[in-house]
Amino acid sequence: MALLSIKNLSIGYQTKAGMLKAVDNISFELERGRPLGFVGESGCGKTTIGMTLMGLLPGNAHILGGSIGFQNQDLIQLNEDQWRRVRGKEIAMIFQAAMNALNPVMRVDEQVIEAIVTHTPDISPADLDKRINELFDLVEIPRVRMKDFPHEYSGGMKQRVIIAMALACNPKLIIADEPTTALDVIVQDQILKEIKAIQKAMNTGLIFISHDIAVVASVCKDICVMYGGQIVETGTREEVFRNPRHPYTKALLGSYLSLDNELTVVIPDMRETPDLTLESGCCRFAVNCKTCSSACKAEVPQWIDISGSHKALCCDETIIRNSHE
Amino acid sequence: MLKNHYIQRFLKGWKIFIQNPLGKMGVVILVVFMLMALASFFVPHINPMYDPMTGIDPDIKISTGPSLTHLLGTDNVGRDLFAQLLEGAKVAFIVGLSSAFFSIVIGTVIGMVSGYAGGMVDTILMRMADIIMVMPSLVILLILSSLFGQFNIWIIVFIIAIMRWPAVSRVIRSQTLSLKHRPFIEASRVAGASHLRIIFRHIMPNVLPLAFLYMTFRVTSAILVEAALSFLGFGDPSQVSWGMMLQWVWKSGHMFQAPYWLIPPGVSISLLTLSFYMLGRAMDEVLDPRLRKEGQS
Amino acid sequence: MRNQTYILGKLVEITIIFFVIMTALFFLFRLSPGDPISKVADPMLTPEDMRYIIEQMGLDKPIWEQYVIYLKNFFTGNFGVSFHYGEPVFKIIRERLGWTVLLFTSSTILAAFAGVFLGKIAAWNKGSRLDNVLSISALVCYTLFIPWFALLLLWVFGFKLGLFPLGGILSPELWVGNASWFVRMLDILHHMLLPLMTLFVIHLGSYLLLMRSSMLSVLREDYIITARAKGLSERVIRNKHAAKNAALPVVTSVGLSLAFSINGGALTEQIFTWPGIGRELIFAVSNNDYPLAQACFLLIALVVCWPIWLWIFSMPIWIRGLPIEPQGMVLE
Repeated sequence: MALLSIKNLSIGYQTKAGMLKAVDNISFELERGRPLGFVGESGCGKTTIGMTLMGLLPGNAHILGGSIGFQNQDLIQLNEDQWRRVRGKEIAMIFQAAMNALNPVMRVDEQVIEAIVTHTPDISPADLDKRINELFDLVEIPRVRMKDFPHEYSGGMKQRVIIAMALACNPKLIIADEPTTALDVIVQDQILKEIKAIQKAMNTGLIFISHDIAVVASVCKDICVMYGGQIVETGTREEVFRNPRHPYTKALLGSYLSLDNELTVVIPDMRETPDLTLESGCCRFAVNCKTCSSACKAEVPQWIDISGSHKALCCDETIIRNSHE
Repeated sequence: MLKNHYIQRFLKGWKIFIQNPLGKMGVVILVVFMLMALASFFVPHINPMYDPMTGIDPDIKISTGPSLTHLLGTDNVGRDLFAQLLEGAKVAFIVGLSSAFFSIVIGTVIGMVSGYAGGMVDTILMRMADIIMVMPSLVILLILSSLFGQFNIWIIVFIIAIMRWPAVSRVIRSQTLSLKHRPFIEASRVAGASHLRIIFRHIMPNVLPLAFLYMTFRVTSAILVEAALSFLGFGDPSQVSWGMMLQWVWKSGHMFQAPYWLIPPGVSISLLTLSFYMLGRAMDEVLDPRLRKEGQS
Repeated sequence: MRNQTYILGKLVEITIIFFVIMTALFFLFRLSPGDPISKVADPMLTPEDMRYIIEQMGLDKPIWEQYVIYLKNFFTGNFGVSFHYGEPVFKIIRERLGWTVLLFTSSTILAAFAGVFLGKIAAWNKGSRLDNVLSISALVCYTLFIPWFALLLLWVFGFKLGLFPLGGILSPELWVGNASWFVRMLDILHHMLLPLMTLFVIHLGSYLLLMRSSMLSVLREDYIITARAKGLSERVIRNKHAAKNAALPVVTSVGLSLAFSINGGALTEQIFTWPGIGRELIFAVSNNDYPLAQACFLLIALVVCWPIWLWIFSMPIWIRGLPIEPQGMVLE
């Protein structure tokens, strides 16, 4: 039984230009022990998925269809009150610390305490104290620094506090949205290790969102590559990394590998931004696809199975099948 | 070609501007007051008794209420209140616009020089701005006019302008600072443009929209200060301003007996300053796209 | 550490500002047209008295020496003798000061609390009818012409309805007789209500608008999303996370706005014949009582610096170590 199973989810933003489908007909499942990574460039809809799972979509966003099965309930049907009981307790989010994610006028420990007390109001002071110390030990922040204000922390420490905040109520699912972006490489590595270790120890579900495929691959067992609101390729990290089939995945990996092997670089040449107003189901990548034929623009892309867990979305089966060098 | 571009930009801005309810309301009120100010030139020609300062209705020796010959009534020596109100609109526009204009000119030049030059010049100019910024302008005007005798309207305008430039220069300075290291400024410096040329040819066009925005707020404060000064009896005695009308109704002891005399000038002052303020707020949205987007969603 | 140097810098700044003001005032009084002696001594005095004053102020000495004497007199609290009252200026000022402080602080603090509260609600319900009503009324309050509004209040509540006295600070009959202190206090409050209301309404507008825009920008911050993600209730997010951050600029502006409200304070005191510093200044200026005017002005200059003092000392206590650079928060 999967912890989270999303079926045919579509989300649109109402704008002046019309309805922008930021997430188009997405389905995936998540198991407790198998962290799932979403990778793609900015604007591909990965953050929208995270915000949907928190019930924190902005006012002009609409869920156009689909279902989010989580613990025998459909999250889409929840009202604001029920959502509040899920947020932080069942599903928690690790935000990017470089953004202003901590309240500047509240002490750090207060902000973590708040997360606990909201969901367990009758916790005894002693238990609360114990829990707080536990959390700060877990993310390796010295107890003497607990009463500081956020601006007295370094970027890495802020990120750790944010992780502690997300863990406060032992959530069943954690969504990490670019948790290591804007940190320097060494700190980034420490944080990633911490997230991995915590995930393993607590056996929570983890959705990891990043634009950096290497970071995603180091944490997650399964990877979804997103482009223009669609998942274009999905599989285990080995499958996607060693045997990319979709032209976009190849371009993405090419941009990452460019330093190691200069001669075989496929420099991605993507000038067009995907048109999100397109009808649902059309191939969004067609505008930038080098292997795209004219016939393919009119067709609806299909999922093409490569192996049991490895799939890619394309109109032209031969491209996917034969593209392995 | 270039002109065309500016006109297009203006038209685009105007479209956004006029869609804004505040902007619309501001423009409407402003037009009404402009018409009043224009009318003040013609009214004395209809009948000399409608001269706001010297025209006296020969039949009336006391303050009377509204009638057909005197739409708003007369003051205690028989002068027409409506004519005075129109004249007041003219004076308010003169005071507000000209002193706002002067303070914008001073503030923009000082702000640009201060931001562009940096270092010692910047420090001295900005300290000066700080000192003037914390001074209550009305009190300064009171002290000065007690020392130097009553001022005429242009000196008042000028003193208000001198008291009110610092806030403008602060804003312009920070804008200049952010422009200073943009590629196009660096490029023209490398190309050998003189400092003056860089300031006035390259920086100024970029800070002017902001300066104009601040002008609307300056108009508001200039009108209020002049009105307060006149109300206290330190205004230009040869001008009929709204503040002066209030001073007369107060000093002549008619404030409880003649609401037709007390209410119109005060409403006019508040409405006119309000309309300029609304204009500024609406302009703010034209200049700041972030605000605009938020207003629409 | 940074804050200490910052505060030190501010203190130096205040001192410099004050000296510049004092110097400017000195030269203004000496350089303005007319007989310089008439600016420090009552023209009605006998020649002997006149000579005494001239000697004391050093008017027969070179101008820089006069300046030194002027500074010395200032620091010893010797502002000369008021022409009109025939009393030391220092004593008059001391009597008036309390009344001004009473009216000022109470109106500003009340307005700040109300402004923060209403601004919070307006921003939270942005775009609603409530927000429109609050914003427009705040705009109207903000642009009201103070003396006119004061006269209007006086006319309606004082004259027409007869609810409040037309001016002054107390009813003499109560103070001659043996009324209890409680009755006397109520009496002062009764006199204070209209001027208080005038200043309150004027300040309320600017605080409300400031709080509203500050709150709107805080609501766009990421930590508001973090708070939501924790599952906090909307009330907690509004009051604890958003309003606390949003009120900071208002607090700063309360300090700084005191400087600007002196204009309004003087006008209000004048209309309600409230015996404060502002009214005394207007009186002195109208009657060419130069020593009194000069002292009033210096005092106002001090008051203008005072909010900066208050602000310097209070901010670091509230938010330890938070960078306290002012951000041009004064609503113009």
